[in-house]
Amino acid sequence: MKERFAIVGSALLLALPLAFGAARAKAQSIGFLSTQLRPVVETTRMRTAILKDFPQKVAFIPTFPEQLLIQATADSKRAKPTLSLFGALHGELEPLVPAGLLAPVDALAPMAKARGVPAGLMALARLGTMHEMYIPWMQATYIMAANRKALPYLPKGADLDHLSYQQLAQWAANITKATGRRMLGFPAGPKGLMPRFFEGYLYPSYTGGVVTTFKSPAAEKMWAFFKGMWKYVNPNSTNYNFMQEPLLSGDVWIAFDHESRLLDALRQKPTDFVAFPAPAGPEGRFYMPVIVGLGIASHAADAAGAAALVKYLLEPKTQLLTLEETGFFPVVRVAMPSNLETGVRLEAAAIQAMQSAPDAKQALLPVGLGKHDGEFGQIYMNTFQRIVLRGQTIGSALAIEAKDLQRIMDAAGAPCWSPDQPSQGVCQVR
Amino acid sequence: MRRLRGSAFAAGVAMLAAWTLLPIYLVAIGGFGGPDAVYRWPKSFWPENLSLDTFRRFVAIGGIWQATEQSVKVALITVVLSLALGVPAGYALARLRFRGATTYRLVILLTRAFPVGILALPLAVSFARFGLYDTALGVALVHTALALPFAVLVTASLFVGIPRELEEAAWVFGCTGPGAFRRIILPLALPGIAATAVFSFVLSWNEVFAAAVLTLRHRTLTAFLLTVLSESPLHIQLAGGFMLIVPSVLFIFLVRRYLFAMWGIASR
Repeated sequence: MKERFAIVGSALLLALPLAFGAARAKAQSIGFLSTQLRPVVETTRMRTAILKDFPQKVAFIPTFPEQLLIQATADSKRAKPTLSLFGALHGELEPLVPAGLLAPVDALAPMAKARGVPAGLMALARLGTMHEMYIPWMQATYIMAANRKALPYLPKGADLDHLSYQQLAQWAANITKATGRRMLGFPAGPKGLMPRFFEGYLYPSYTGGVVTTFKSPAAEKMWAFFKGMWKYVNPNSTNYNFMQEPLLSGDVWIAFDHESRLLDALRQKPTDFVAFPAPAGPEGRFYMPVIVGLGIASHAADAAGAAALVKYLLEPKTQLLTLEETGFFPVVRVAMPSNLETGVRLEAAAIQAMQSAPDAKQALLPVGLGKHDGEFGQIYMNTFQRIVLRGQTIGSALAIEAKDLQRIMDAAGAPCWSPDQPSQGVCQVR
Repeated sequence: MRRLRGSAFAAGVAMLAAWTLLPIYLVAIGGFGGPDAVYRWPKSFWPENLSLDTFRRFVAIGGIWQATEQSVKVALITVVLSLALGVPAGYALARLRFRGATTYRLVILLTRAFPVGILALPLAVSFARFGLYDTALGVALVHTALALPFAVLVTASLFVGIPRELEEAAWVFGCTGPGAFRRIILPLALPGIAATAVFSFVLSWNEVFAAAVLTLRHRTLTAFLLTVLSESPLHIQLAGGFMLIVPSVLFIFLVRRYLFAMWGIASR
């Protein structure tokens, strides 16, 4: 007994110095902290395929958006910082600016412009300062996908590439009538991206705005319509985070989601599914582009290496590779090759159709909300829960939530962004 | 009547076993069955088309072995530190009379009163200043702080249960204070100390938040898996879950005999 105790004890003691040593070892590679490409399949592809041809060693570290600020701050306070580059959504990079964690990247802007990054995106990347604070890296958006089994039930005269919300509801109703099942699905689960559907698609398409028109008569009409459509939506929607899963299992036939969260279904069974643009409402076919940017750390361990890496990631060849491997679309000018993988090609065609539709309009991700971004999305989910799930009166539910919405806008001091008209001062709910 | 009680007992045991084993079983067939088994509806309860494919892909994830090594390191340091600090403190609480002993007993719980989420930023920044950020020792220190209240209180009640006379007899026969502790008290307290070790190990193994916030390149397995798996396909998540369960079950089996001896049942 005593002996064994001694053995265990000494083994534990041996572990201590081992732990100290390992922390120090390892040559420095370019530290690349990213809130995107977090799922293991994408992380692996980033490391093994996309970064393979870059001459220097890169440590690609995926992290959660809510930890980005903490980790970047802590790293900048170390005697020897190890991070050089941040990859994150526009809205996630924003809080790094007041914290002084981003170095201006004006020197890289001519390169980005020359390669065809749209001027609108470059303007967005200034994050309200006089300098370019990040370089756009990749973009994505939200589209729809459907099982081919659903196609026979399309309402008469409906064209998949030019669907309206009314037709979508009719389509789902037809399926319920014929099969007795509710086969339309939305990612309204705890980690789902449903708030973006309200912010970038439904609200703008029906009211032409997202904040100013929050409780307008058009918004009341919109909620009445959406509540009517919910009768044909799979009630499990409040558990779905990624629509590719219920699509693959056959729980739903028609779904709305972020394209990267639909890609697995289109990849695994490309002959079973179709992808198509989001529907249009009375105000047009609004969609929300999602911009991922690259920001260089102000305490960068290797600023030159980080700049070289940005240039590499923006090369047309790398951008195409990124598209094939992860489903994120290029921000630079590239010619789409004909041998693109089927799943990606289906999505590319749907996005192309959405962008080039005559009634297509863009709604931006919230700008200027900083840390209030999450609360902002919650307002739309709360309203959805009040009206659709709990059956409260539309007018009173909107009045209550509008107060909260205004409180958030005041707290963030954010002016209106597209789709709302630009405002003098804080954006006001009318 | 006795038979009735016997079968009720058996049913209870079966329920308890199913309570823990059934989820592990479902996780296992999900992980071994591949995507088809996970997405198929209705789900089959029996394993079909088992393959190691998902696991092979899982094990091939870059950095997974490094993370496992890191997790073991952090957990072992946590066990060593929480025993090294917790056992003497427990002994002092049980045997020595000093002013403020009861207050101390309460204050020791305070480390668990602050949610780590609020402390995250200041903790990360001060760790960075001290050079502890992104090291196994740094994470282990936080885990030790979380495990200490338990270690102190459990060992204290342990030492209270060991008759003082035994110790005094040892002194009479010429043992020094520390000698008596090592020769007489420690062997008697070993089962309880083993339980404390298990607790510290499992706490450290499972803790995610501090581990994720305080590390960058040297993630523990739990923190590593959380970031890479939370948005991965279901079957890979299940494979990862299974891989997380196995080591802690193994560790508990290893120290199981000490645990049972705690209640005076020798089950060697």
